[in-house]
Parts: sequence; structure tokens; C-alpha cells
Amino acid sequence: MADLYEKVIVIDPDKCAGCHSCEMACSMKNFGKNHPYYSRIRIQEFREVNTFIPVTCQACEEAVCMKVCPMGARYRDANGAVVTNEDACIGCRACIYACPFGAPVINPDTGKTMTCNKCVGEETPWCVRACTMQGALQYVPKHMVSKVTSRKFAWELKEEYKPKGAKDEEPKFSFSFA
Amino acid sequence: MHGWAGKRLRVDLTEGKYEIEELKPEYLRKWIGGRGFNSEVVYHETFAGMDAFDPRNPLCFGTGPLAGTFAPLSGRTTVSAISPMTCSYRGTDVHGHGDTNMGGQFAAYMKYAGFDQIVIKGRAEKPVYLWIDDGKVEIRDASHLWGLKVKETTKRLINELGDPDVKVACIGPAGENLVRFACVVNTFSSAGGRTGMGAVMGSKNLKAIAIRGTKALTIANPDAFAKEAWKLREIIHKSPSAIRRREEGTHDLFDAGNIIGINAHKNVSTGYMPGLEETYGGLQWAAKYLFRRKGCWSCPVCCGRYTYFKEGKYAGFHCGGPEMESVCNLGPRIDTYNVDDVNVMCGMVNDLGMDSISAGAALSLSMEAFEKGLLTKEDTGGIEFKWGDTETSMKVLEMIAYRQGFGDILAEGNIRVAEKLGRGIDKLVPHCRGLEHISVDPRIAMGFSLGYAMSTRGSDHLKNYSCLEFQGCAMSRKALVDEVMGELKDEFWKDFPKELYTLTTKPKLVTWSEKNKCVADLVGCCCQAIGSWGGAGDWRAYTPLFRLATGFDMPDEEIFKAAERVVNIERANWNRVGSGRQDDTHIDRYFDEPVVDGPYKGLKIDRKEWAWAQEEYYRYHGWDNDGFITPEKARELDIPEIIPDIEKGKQLYFEYLKKKGL
Repeated sequence: MADLYEKVIVIDPDKCAGCHSCEMACSMKNFGKNHPYYSRIRIQEFREVNTFIPVTCQACEEAVCMKVCPMGARYRDANGAVVTNEDACIGCRACIYACPFGAPVINPDTGKTMTCNKCVGEETPWCVRACTMQGALQYVPKHMVSKVTSRKFAWELKEEYKPKGAKDEEPKFSFSFA
Repeated sequence: MHGWAGKRLRVDLTEGKYEIEELKPEYLRKWIGGRGFNSEVVYHETFAGMDAFDPRNPLCFGTGPLAGTFAPLSGRTTVSAISPMTCSYRGTDVHGHGDTNMGGQFAAYMKYAGFDQIVIKGRAEKPVYLWIDDGKVEIRDASHLWGLKVKETTKRLINELGDPDVKVACIGPAGENLVRFACVVNTFSSAGGRTGMGAVMGSKNLKAIAIRGTKALTIANPDAFAKEAWKLREIIHKSPSAIRRREEGTHDLFDAGNIIGINAHKNVSTGYMPGLEETYGGLQWAAKYLFRRKGCWSCPVCCGRYTYFKEGKYAGFHCGGPEMESVCNLGPRIDTYNVDDVNVMCGMVNDLGMDSISAGAALSLSMEAFEKGLLTKEDTGGIEFKWGDTETSMKVLEMIAYRQGFGDILAEGNIRVAEKLGRGIDKLVPHCRGLEHISVDPRIAMGFSLGYAMSTRGSDHLKNYSCLEFQGCAMSRKALVDEVMGELKDEFWKDFPKELYTLTTKPKLVTWSEKNKCVADLVGCCCQAIGSWGGAGDWRAYTPLFRLATGFDMPDEEIFKAAERVVNIERANWNRVGSGRQDDTHIDRYFDEPVVDGPYKGLKIDRKEWAWAQEEYYRYHGWDNDGFITPEKARELDIPEIIPDIEKGKQLYFEYLKKKGL
């Protein structure tokens, strides 16, 4: 059974402004140096239309990468993250090809693959913290994910059904329901 | 080497050669980065009286030690050279220092490719572009790109080189045609607009620089650096002014600007435009046009805009920006409320590769001169200029970029237009040192006004970012104001907020603000956090990050001193061509004609007060009464090599005064 209180990183590309703060935070946290290639989250840019899609490991329930890894190096951590055991990994990159998002990335130091470990030990992963102002990345328990994502679309439908003339406040699509 | 990449790339386009130079620790300590490296090179590798289009003119791209790191707001590149736009009272062909600062992603990738600075000299025979791949440099043929606009050039280069991580800084048709206010644009729409660096690039037949870098930047003290960077980031996350800047972009300045009447209107003849905030205001703008925000490297705020027209005449049109200055200079400055057209013009200007401020100034000058009968249809080749006529404006902007018809004259910059046509048009050109005013009326905000005149790149607020004089900024940073003003603090608060239009405390404020802004440019970070929205406080926000990233144990005072050194060497660049006090002023219009509209109706600059303020300003800098750097100051700042140059410049200055009988 899925643990609905396990937190996951949720991405809203519509809010991403392509500042790459998340990449800087990730590389800083995990390697102590700065370059997007040392980051496990990557923004795929389509600058000519100002569109940015952050891509990171989704820690799938049925993780294909775990199934295809010939060395069994991909495993699920206690916090739900799916990560690579670098001692076992041979750097064949099968997990990258098999992943529907192409999310695993190559560690420039070792040539083996790496994915998000949700910053083990931190309350919030650094990439999410770095995105506080834009809110393109959020760290929420699983049971919240569809509620909020779905409400964003429901808001547009709601206009048709709500009492005519009733006023309401501007929607703030945020995961914090304070 | 930590923080810095530690290398400088020198390219000679005439010879087709390049050279990589290691930067020594003493050098780094003295000049720190970005604007510091650039200003040093521009001063030492040129001579007094060099023409901007001389192949020997060094075009420098520089970034600082924090650029491309986890430090917030760290994505700025400074581009410097002798500017084709700026000039001295001694003649429009006497050029001086010019630089411009751009955001985007170029700075970060320059560092990842291993360079803190790129210096380009010489002139290629045929159009070329520079391909820098992780320290490997190639000069490649660009004949297939010549003539293309900015967006198309960037797109083609990225496709050609086959990597979306290639970052491109390029010029548009305006730069190729040597329009004197052409700009350099990186990452599709982040422009380094002012002082015509694009024209310098065009004169070298250099269409673009494409760069890719895979090397990580190391940090001297990663854990402490991360902690400090988080501290600054959290301050910014919580800062109400930063949140507003994110929501509204730089357009948030329209409301405040119009209330105090400092937005340019009708060729900066007045600062107030009725109903401007409702038409151009940040929220209204965002609701109608904002497609998505556009962030510079590692910036949590992302104040950049991206326009998309959902409906109407321009449905489907999309472009990067515009920023407040672009809108203000292509909108209120030419007296139009048609925001649709203004946005399209901003997009157009960016794509053609021109500075939107000077382009707007060219239009507004033509309009005013036409209204006053100083310009006729015969001069303009049949074009009739009318206030607010955006349709003609669009046509003229294209003509400027391609130097067709009357556009060929306007492309020389306002001051040369006036010189060419005569008839007293020069009285209508709002400029300092040949560069047109930005959109702030110099008769009201006196700190800004003094800043324009003293700026080392001609009229511009981004050299003397004295935002503390404005009510909002001063009130939110009271303690800082007290500290900066020192013994003048009672004077400052006495008449607050009316102190805005008095000069008494401004020389001190401007002297401090210059260095404050300079520190941001040196480390490669954005000045807005310590300036207009100011959430991060002042320059000291960056100094701990600088120390932890580089491992250089430089005390705050030494960094501030380095900033002063940079301001001085830029000034020396002017001093040596004989530019001093005579240039540090405004055109007669602002001394003679009062403001005609708005809350500050009737204000003008008092000549006596101005002369006093000039002297005070020089005193705070340790310069002499003619605005020349004194030998003592030069020695104190460890730049004694400027002394003989300045002596020569001073002679030129006095000769000129004598000739004019002053």
C-alpha cells in the first residue's frame, strides 16, 4: 500500500521561469560545487517560446529503472526515493533510456547515473526551497498531489457551475492550505 | 582557484588568433571581477582619443566571482569598450568609456567554459562568430547569419551547434549596420543595451559569441557558502518589495514614478503623464500580456517578463520583455497610451538589436523637433512625426536599424542628429556625455539628476543608483540611510520626503551609491536587490559570499575601495580626453524651463546650487574642483599610472576653456 504521507516533489512547469536556482541548489548540496551537470534536477529549456520544464526523478511506484538495471543497482531508499548504488552501478545508462522522463543523469565525476534522493535528512529538498518564490517545485504528501493539481483545472470549470454573480477571491494555486 | 574561473581569453580577429591568460591573485584582488576587469582593460589598452570603431578598441565581456554559483541573483555580465555613443563637450568624436550590464545566462556559461573575461580586438575580414567550447576557441564563418535578427540568429546557432545548453550573445541588424546605440543580446532577449556595445561588436565583424561549458565552479568553503547563500535567499523570499517585483516586474515603478512625476513624458520635457499608472501599471500589464516570467541565472525573483498576445491585432505575437525602461521610453516618452503597440515596438527593438532607450529618444526628439517646426518633411524624406504616432514610429525603428532614409541620420544618436541638422535642435536633446536620458526627469529627483551628470558612461541611472532618496526605499531602510548620510542625516530627514528635490544631501548619497552599485557589478550579481527594490539591503549583502566563494580574506573596506578604484579608472578614461566639470551637467533646458505638469510643477534646477553640488561631489571623491582625479587620490587607490594621462587631459580642458573664453 502506498504511504500517503510520504512526501514527493511535484512540478508545475507553468510557474517555472528558467532561473536554474534548483540546479544550483542541488549541485551545491550534493557536490559542494556549481554546475547544472552536477545537478539531479534539470530544467529543459525551450527559450524561444519561454517555456521551461523541470525534470527530476519521480520515484515511480513501478520504477522501470529498477527493473531494467542489469546490476540491480537501482533501489528504493527509506524516504521513498529511487537512487543508484554507485558501488554496483556499471554506468551502462539503461535506466536513462528506460525512464519515461529520461530523468536519471550522469554523474560527471564517476560516469555512473544518479537521481534525486530528496535531500535525505533535510526537511525540504534544496531545489524546492530555492523555488520558494516561483513555486514551480513543491514538496507535499502524496495525498495532496491530485487534490491541488486537479483543483487548478477545476477552477476553470467552476465558472460554469457556481451561482451567477457570486464573487470569490482570486485563486492562489498553492499547496499550502493555510 | 575558487569562485573565479581564473582565466582571461584574448581574441584577435584580425590575426584570427587567440590566447588564454591566467589571472594572478594580486590582479583579482585589485579588480575583483566583471566591471573591474573590463574597466581596467578598457583604460589600459586604449589611448586618449581612440575612435570607438578602431579595430584596437577592446570589446570586453566580464563576469564576477559569484556569477554562475548558488549565490542568488548571480547572472550578470558586463560588456565594456570605448563607446561610439558617448562623447565630450570637446566634440562628438571624442569618445570615452562605455559599458553595459546584461542578465540572462551568458555569465554563468562563460565561467563554466573557464573564462572570467573575454577580450576581443581586431576586425575580421568577413563576418565571423566565436565558438567557445570548454576552453577550445574557434573563429567560424558567419556569413549565413549576417543580416538575421537576434532571435533567428540565436535559434540557428543553437541548432547548428546541436546543443540546447549553448548560450549565445549576438547582435542584430542594427549592430551590423553600426547604429551607434546597437545592443548585445544574450539568451534570446536579455539585452545589454546602453552605450552601443553592439555597434562595437558589429565594427569587428563579429556576429555572435556561442559558448558552452561543462566545468563546475568550485567554492572555497562550500558549507559556509551555502549557509550564507541561503540566508540571503531567505531574506529575498520574504522581502515584500521582492515579492512585488516578481508580481509586477520592473513595471511596478510606474505607479510610484508617476505619483512623484518623474517618468519621462514627451521627450523628457515633463515627468508626469495623466493616467499613466492605470495604462502601464504592473498589475494591469501582467493581467493582459504576461505569458510567463523569465529568470536570469540563479535568481529567485525572476522579474523578467515574457509578452504574449492572446487576442487582437497582434494575436500570437510573443517576445521577451519588455522592462519598465523600454516601455517608458517607447511609450510615455513618445506620448502614447497604446500599450499594444508599445509592447510590439519593444519586441521589435530587441530583435533588431537596438537600445530601446536611445531608440525611443530618437523618436521623441524627432517628434518634438517636428512639432516645433525645426524639422520638416523635406528633412525626413516625407515622414510626418506626430506625438503618439506609433505606426510611423514602428516604420522609423526599422529604418534606423537598416539605416534607410532619415533613419540613417537618427542612427547616429540624438546628439549627432542635432549637430548635423543644427537649427537649435541640440536644445531639445536630453543627454549627458552624448548618451540620452533614461526615463526620469532630472529636475525632480536630484540624486538621480546628479548621478546622470556624473555617471561614467553618460546619462544613466545604473551607475549612480541612488534609490535611497525615494520615499519608499528610504523608509524601508532607515538605518542604512542614517549610516550613509552620517552627519547629514538630520538634514536628510528634516524635509523628508521633500528632500527629493533638494541637492543638499545628494552629493554624499551619490558618491556612496556609485560604489554601492559597483560592488554588485564587480561580483557579478544584480544591483536591484541593493537598489530599487532593495530587499537585500546594501553592498554588504554580497561581501560574505564573495569571501566564502573565493577564499580571499578581503575585509569589507578593501572591497569597497576596489569599487572606488573602478569608478575612478572609468572617470580617468574621461579625464584623459579632457572631460571634466564642463561635462558634468545637464542641458540648459533643465535649468531654464520649469516642469510643466504634475505634482512638482514649476521645479527647475538652480545653477548656483548645481555648481555647489558639483564641488561637493568632487570633494567627497577627493577630486579637484574641475572634476579631475588628483594625484594623491590616484596614489591612494594604487593606480598611479593614470597621473600623467590626467595631467594631459587637464591641459586639453584648460585650452578649451581659454578658447571659449570661459
